[in-house]
Amino acid sequence: MELLKEKWPGKIAEITIGATNAEGGTRASKITVGGETTLPFLFHEGDMPNMPRIAMEVLDTEPVDWPEVLKKPFGDALKDPAKWAVKCQDEFKAEIICVKLAGTHPDFGNKSAEDSAKLIKDVLQAVKVPLIILGSGDDEKDNIVLSKVSQAAKGERCLLGDATEKNYKTLTASCLADGHNIIAESPIDINIAKQANILISEMGFPLDKIVINPTIGALGYGMEYAYSIMERARYAALIDDKMLSMPFIAFIGQEAWRAKEAKTLFSQAPEWGEEESRGILWEASTAACMLQAGADILVMRHPKAVDVTRGYIGKLMGNK
Amino acid sequence: MEKCKIIFKPSNKTIEVRKGADLLASAVAAGVYINSSCGGEGVCGRCKVVIKKGKFQTEPTGRITPEEKKKNFCLACLTTVEGNLEVYIPPQSRLELDKTKKEQARVYRLKGLYSESAEVDKGKPIIDEGIFTHSPVSTKVYAELPRPTLNDSVSDYERLIREIKSKYKISIMQAGLRNIRRLGALLRHSDWKVTVTLGKRNETTEIVIIEPGNTSKQNYGVAFDIGTTTVSGQLVDLNTKKVLGTKGTHNKQVMFGDDVITRIMFATEESGLERLHHAVIDNMNSIIKELTEEHGVALNNVTGVMCAGNTTMMHLLLRVDPTYIRKEPYVSTANFVPVIRAAESGIKIHPRGLLACIPGVSTYVGGDIVAGVIACGIDNEEALTLLLDIGTNGEIAFGNKEWMACCSASAGPAFEGSGVSCGMRAIKGAIERVEIDAKLNAKVKTIANSKPMGICGSGYIDLLAQMLKKDIMKRDGRLNADAKTKKIRKKDGELEYVVVPKNKACCGYDIVIKESDIENIKRSKGAIFSAAAILVKKFNLTFDQIDKIYIAGGFGTYLDIENAVTIGLLPDVDRKKFKFVGNSSLIGSREILLSYDTMKKAEDTARKMTYVELSKDPAYMDEYISSLFFPHTNLEKFPSVK
Repeated sequence: MELLKEKWPGKIAEITIGATNAEGGTRASKITVGGETTLPFLFHEGDMPNMPRIAMEVLDTEPVDWPEVLKKPFGDALKDPAKWAVKCQDEFKAEIICVKLAGTHPDFGNKSAEDSAKLIKDVLQAVKVPLIILGSGDDEKDNIVLSKVSQAAKGERCLLGDATEKNYKTLTASCLADGHNIIAESPIDINIAKQANILISEMGFPLDKIVINPTIGALGYGMEYAYSIMERARYAALIDDKMLSMPFIAFIGQEAWRAKEAKTLFSQAPEWGEEESRGILWEASTAACMLQAGADILVMRHPKAVDVTRGYIGKLMGNK
Repeated sequence: MEKCKIIFKPSNKTIEVRKGADLLASAVAAGVYINSSCGGEGVCGRCKVVIKKGKFQTEPTGRITPEEKKKNFCLACLTTVEGNLEVYIPPQSRLELDKTKKEQARVYRLKGLYSESAEVDKGKPIIDEGIFTHSPVSTKVYAELPRPTLNDSVSDYERLIREIKSKYKISIMQAGLRNIRRLGALLRHSDWKVTVTLGKRNETTEIVIIEPGNTSKQNYGVAFDIGTTTVSGQLVDLNTKKVLGTKGTHNKQVMFGDDVITRIMFATEESGLERLHHAVIDNMNSIIKELTEEHGVALNNVTGVMCAGNTTMMHLLLRVDPTYIRKEPYVSTANFVPVIRAAESGIKIHPRGLLACIPGVSTYVGGDIVAGVIACGIDNEEALTLLLDIGTNGEIAFGNKEWMACCSASAGPAFEGSGVSCGMRAIKGAIERVEIDAKLNAKVKTIANSKPMGICGSGYIDLLAQMLKKDIMKRDGRLNADAKTKKIRKKDGELEYVVVPKNKACCGYDIVIKESDIENIKRSKGAIFSAAAILVKKFNLTFDQIDKIYIAGGFGTYLDIENAVTIGLLPDVDRKKFKFVGNSSLIGSREILLSYDTMKKAEDTARKMTYVELSKDPAYMDEYISSLFFPHTNLEKFPSVK
């Protein structure tokens, strides 16, 4: 019996993060994601030329709400973003570093744009892998900080974010001027995802430099909702909706470690089992689901969860 | 208790109120209308007045600018009377009764409409050649009865009936006891010459009025469209079928809430239903009064009134409690209302004159859309037709003579000029056309070419389309602060575009469009487009497969189809398919007033229409959200808009 196969006319855009010396940057490696012509891992229907990649998260300030089990692997490096990034690259084999400038938020440190620009330069010096750089989520401050940071990283072809449909102009202009890719964020809404992409592209920004952050929920916190939105967007892309044909970025770590199931101490809930593996499993399970939904870049936190997920990707890609 | 006297300018109406009374309530009591859409909550800022003289207290509000404050502007609803006052009501706060301007001339006459008036001889109803027969709700016939003799001793009542039957071939089924009681004396005093008004009450014909002499030439009726935001009436000569005049006015119920839901909630408050009922009856009576006075028609010669309106409006008109309309499972008290005496509802025409309401389809699709279907002749044609009635309660009908479906979309009053900062109805002084030149200045055309006072629905459609084309506005409806013009500015933390500067306007302030206005219009157009899209999709059809698209609504004299497509209010299909029909509900109401036989058609239509409840359709919300973009999130649906 012959297998019924779907023929998709569309293709996800391929985007490359990081620029080598030859390309005007200073990265030792570059990463390409996207390019799918099928639903995730359905190799008999189409191709998935680039495997999903994992970025490890680094914050510009020492994290305050991370549980011990999450802090432990990084030790003192948490106090110095550059060291932290090096540890992720060398020890945990991170292929991409995602720097979140959380401390620039007016309510949580209010660090200046200049300090952030310097920090990014330091990280770029310290590691050789490509960077993702995120603002704090405060629109006004992000517009100031990210344009400085973008200049500081000019030519490195980073991935900067997040642009929202309400606040996209400044960041789009910066990324365009300094040769970066951009993350377009939408609140688990396929229409707004598309609208944000249209608005950004109408400023002359190339479609193959946009990554969609669909916003996700962790296991038990709306993960299936995120899944269905991503699935719908991917269907639309594969039937050739150019405004949705971008790779996805999924912020697994921040969502999974927000769950009380991941954070609660053993002493507080002994019936949930020991805390050492609980959070890690929570993060890895969320990641597995998002891979199946079509995530191309996973931003994660715990090295063990990263390890497990990397193994999982390897197995899935092995079927190719 | 201390009394204070208030004089309202320019009407010079006065009233005495107790000290400390609320100024807005005092104005209402004095019969002075002041705009207010929030119902006196101090929110909408529409009840601006100027205190010329006297003592008062007013609460501070952001709705009054510092310049206005210097000139003694205040919000009537936040002001209490502290002494004798002279209060000036500026034009923008006033209710202007106005003609909706020769509606006849501009409305494209549709095939299947009532044929043009023919000569009617001697008040005798004639059978028309058109699709609708001439059979007004109330007909007057003149009868000269043979005097009774010993040989012809049949009773007065039977004599009258016999005469009418033999002369006019009309079988009378009944007459009121009151008429019979008066009959003996009346016939003898009038020398056996009387005019009889016959009314159609559902399946029967009854004697409504008997008058001495021959007044059969004077028989008039008024057709109404009772909209959530606008009430329009048309005076018609029931013999000649001629339209004598049309008037439109703001529905006074707006004082108690902008949309039907707020009003239903208000109706449950103490005396709320009565106040809503009186508000609309006042509207109708003042329209009837002005029309009859203008055309020298005696109120007693107005014998019939026909109304079309959404289900809630009909409930309020008849003072039927609308509470259950908004409670699950959303059932109205009556969609088919029998013909009643107009006086029972408080309408002032001949005391025994009739009031008929066009039947509705469901709780949220009323007689107005049924009237629209009749007016456009959709139920007679093979052609697949979509009728979009763009009002506060947007209603959409779809089908042809074989089948019909409908749905309603809560569009809000933005296209009628409410809920937007410089909005107004399509009356004199309203900006109805806008073009934006290369220097990003707006060139406007107003109704009656008078000095601009505000922007009406068609003006907003032009304005948004132009702003989008000139990149003053982005596709999500935000203004482009980087556009090279000083006309975009930030005021009170919000971006706005100046359409007409203060010195060229007659309202005393800059006519602007704010981002929040655009947001409101975006929601309105999104609600209408998405409702139409879902309705069409329900039948596995696409917009391209539709033969005709009729657009109805109070847009005034003009609607630019191209611009309406550009902003995504209308689908991007062959422009030849579109026809702007004006107030189709009012036209339908008039047709049925003139041809009661058509009421049967309306009833059939109402029964035939399948109501599609959008809120039950899981795809609706998604389609709505994707419509909240100019023209649409799925740009490929609008290939001609670039």
